[in-house]
Amino acid sequence: MIPIRVFLLILLIAAPSLASAQQAMNYEDASALLGASCGKDIDDNCRGVNLDPPRLKECFIRNGDSISAKCRDDYPRAFNAIQGRITARITLAKLCNWELNHLCGTVRQDPVKGLQCLLAATRSVTPNCNKAIIAAGFR
Amino acid sequence: MGVRSQTLRSKALGGLALLAGAIIVFSAPALHAQPAAATGSLLDQLVGPETEPDIDMAALRQQAAQRIKSRADLAPLKRPPIAPELLKLPQYDFDVVFDPDSALVRPQSYGTIGRIADVLSDPKLRPYVYLVVAHTDANGKRDANLALSQKRADSIRDVLVGSFKIAAKRLQAIGLGEEQLQDSAHPASAVNLGAQIVAIGTVPQAPATDAPPAPKAPAAAAKKKTKH
Repeated sequence: MIPIRVFLLILLIAAPSLASAQQAMNYEDASALLGASCGKDIDDNCRGVNLDPPRLKECFIRNGDSISAKCRDDYPRAFNAIQGRITARITLAKLCNWELNHLCGTVRQDPVKGLQCLLAATRSVTPNCNKAIIAAGFR
Repeated sequence: MGVRSQTLRSKALGGLALLAGAIIVFSAPALHAQPAAATGSLLDQLVGPETEPDIDMAALRQQAAQRIKSRADLAPLKRPPIAPELLKLPQYDFDVVFDPDSALVRPQSYGTIGRIADVLSDPKLRPYVYLVVAHTDANGKRDANLALSQKRADSIRDVLVGSFKIAAKRLQAIGLGEEQLQDSAHPASAVNLGAQIVAIGTVPQAPATDAPPAPKAPAAAAKKKTKH
């Protein structure tokens, strides 16, 4: 019984970090969160600004005192999720350079086919590359 | 004996509680997970056409403006679609709420735009070029509706390119005003305010900005070093 309990305890402690590594908000969830939490704040303080994270962020900071607590809590998460995914996609080729060179040969230079090859080579990629693929939202 | 069985039972309960806790923690992220089936079918729906249509955007805009100017097809109920060729292509209809008489996307539609960005940036659809099509209902002036729908199509495209880094060369935008009514039997209906994303072809072979860039060539890296 004890080894099982120890195992479960470890699992429970490790779970949040494993879960956050595996799941990042996609664009839809991040944008919906922004709209739901900050819709009124945008109407009241950022009239004329479209769905443009840098400009909205600037507006929220400029109007700090007038922004609702809910929006203040949620907009960094939404913006970070969008920016994080964009950055992960830009750096993917660098972090998976070894895989692209060794597994994707001739198609590696083609951004579309290189990416498709990389995603198809699921079992052969290194943990770092795998992490990069997950952060980019491709798995 | 009674004490032993009580201890065993409490140990078993403790183990079960831990197991339940672990299951809850592991399943929590699923609440935020992408609806895979829905996205999957959307991806299939938007795979590019087998034969690429020859669509001249400038000519189509001109044709719409000309039809309005010449006061052709005045009755919305009998007005034929200005671009019937678009109706045959792979597409996805979606609703975006804008500020009245404006191209500003309302916050309640942010999630919808995010969904389009998720789909367009999927590796499966990266080889294709898409057209954002915006429409209006038949309320108001016909030429103003055409202009407003073009601004709205441009606005959606700008958000996808600017905020979600979808490659600009993969996206075009056109507003068809009330010249291609979604529900021609009810020209004033809000159904006609919908938008579409239409697959219109494949990307010409060249590196895309929303695709992972190739790492720097060794020669370029060496050259950079010598600058210091």
